[in-house]
Amino acid sequence: MKKQKFSVAHARFVKKYRLQKAITLTTQILILVAFILAWELLTKHEIISSFFFSSPSKIANTIKELYNSGELFYNSIITLRETLIGFAIATGIGFLVAFVLWYNNFLRRVAEPYIVVLNSLPKIALGPIIIIWFGAGSKAIIFMCILIVIIVTILNILNSFISCDKQLIAVAKSLGANKLQTFFKLVLPSSVKDIVATLKINVGLSWIGSIMGEYMTSKAGLGYLLKYGGQVMNLNLVMTSTVLLCIMASLMYLLVALFEKLMNKIYK
Amino acid sequence: MNLVEIENLNLFYQSVKSETQALMDVNLSIQPFEFVSIVGPSGCGKTTILSLIAGLISPTTGVVKVKDETPNPKKDICGYMFQRDNLLPWRNIEKNIYFGLEIKHKKSNENKEYARELAIKYGLGEFLKKHPHELSGGMRQRVSLIRTLALKPELLLLDEPFSALDYQTRLTLCDDILHIIKSEKKTAILVTHDIQEAISMSDRIIVLSARPGTVKAVHKLNFDKALTPFERRNTTKAKKLFDVIWQEIQNEKAKI
Repeated sequence: MKKQKFSVAHARFVKKYRLQKAITLTTQILILVAFILAWELLTKHEIISSFFFSSPSKIANTIKELYNSGELFYNSIITLRETLIGFAIATGIGFLVAFVLWYNNFLRRVAEPYIVVLNSLPKIALGPIIIIWFGAGSKAIIFMCILIVIIVTILNILNSFISCDKQLIAVAKSLGANKLQTFFKLVLPSSVKDIVATLKINVGLSWIGSIMGEYMTSKAGLGYLLKYGGQVMNLNLVMTSTVLLCIMASLMYLLVALFEKLMNKIYK
Repeated sequence: MNLVEIENLNLFYQSVKSETQALMDVNLSIQPFEFVSIVGPSGCGKTTILSLIAGLISPTTGVVKVKDETPNPKKDICGYMFQRDNLLPWRNIEKNIYFGLEIKHKKSNENKEYARELAIKYGLGEFLKKHPHELSGGMRQRVSLIRTLALKPELLLLDEPFSALDYQTRLTLCDDILHIIKSEKKTAILVTHDIQEAISMSDRIIVLSARPGTVKAVHKLNFDKALTPFERRNTTKAKKLFDVIWQEIQNEKAKI
């Protein structure tokens, strides 16, 4: 491509655009810093109770202690593992089920009321049943995570498959395409955006699932630390676990966002 | 031998609460290399006739034959072109024109070469690596035609392919597309609302009645072969014919 020559006005425009971006970022960082500073100062002078609100320095200390005792990675990895397995299985199976329901109209009609009921059911209500079936431990937690993620996945992805442009499908039909061809050449590529959006939702949901599972039954993990900290009124531990969760969930979200960028490049 | 033969065709659309007769006792035949237009009031079943010929739907009663056989989209006789270009936005132009070949499992180098040559021959060479959103509406519709032609259909079914375009583009594209169809020696059936468009391109015009559609009138056109569609529009013959067909459709509309 030829390099375009730009006018002075363009340079002004770019400058303004960059300035706006910089101001936004600076403001965001300032808010975070101000929040942490205020938190630290207010609790240091006991204007608000450091027992009930913990404090950034206490959280840092707790992280250090957890690190030294080896509990930091031990617990984080247990929860991360449950979340990732739940996320992967639920997304994978959810996708497959959505595909089958798209492929077979009869099955879709039959399954519809069941999916609606399962979607509105608060999955935590199944807690006792899950523990009885899978025992108290990782399996039960992962199953809870899957239950929470899978229904939404099926609904979102199926919806996206069904809403594929009817006119494009008419073209495929006029060419005598079979259903599998229609799926792989039209439906799937035009659903990429929705699928990635579903992945983003699933990141949040799978953390909800694993933490809820750990509340329900666990001997380790961040959810366990949260519950334990709450029971013994150790707010430092509670806050620390929350911060760790925040960090890990954001990292996972970032990964999906990167994947989205890549997909957008291919399927613009 | 006629390429398309329709005899005593009736078509009903079914729904739980009602039954609508879209076509009634339609009889028509189309010869090889003919360019036939079908015009008529809205909802008279013009597009339905194309769907029947393409084999996308089956007649309720009566017979539809294409090359003496029951039409089937899996065969390569018909090429369907829609009102919208329906290009796949995530594929570039070159991959879009291979789409039909892929579906039909005919993506040989030879066929790809043929499709690419068609594209180059009809002015799309420089756009092959671009994406549909980078092309104008007229260009995209041209890509859509090349995608259809890549499968070497004998019969082109054109379902209002110009109606989504602005007037200027429409006129030029009419000229281009008729030129392409004639030089590739194809038979074509054009469904349109636009009487002038039908007059400017066709060898024969079939006027359908209001629903249920049946053949109301047939006009054989014999313009000088050298005239382009654009030039045809300005002849007195075209203007006279326009008035006749206009009145025929107007009378039909009055019945609704």
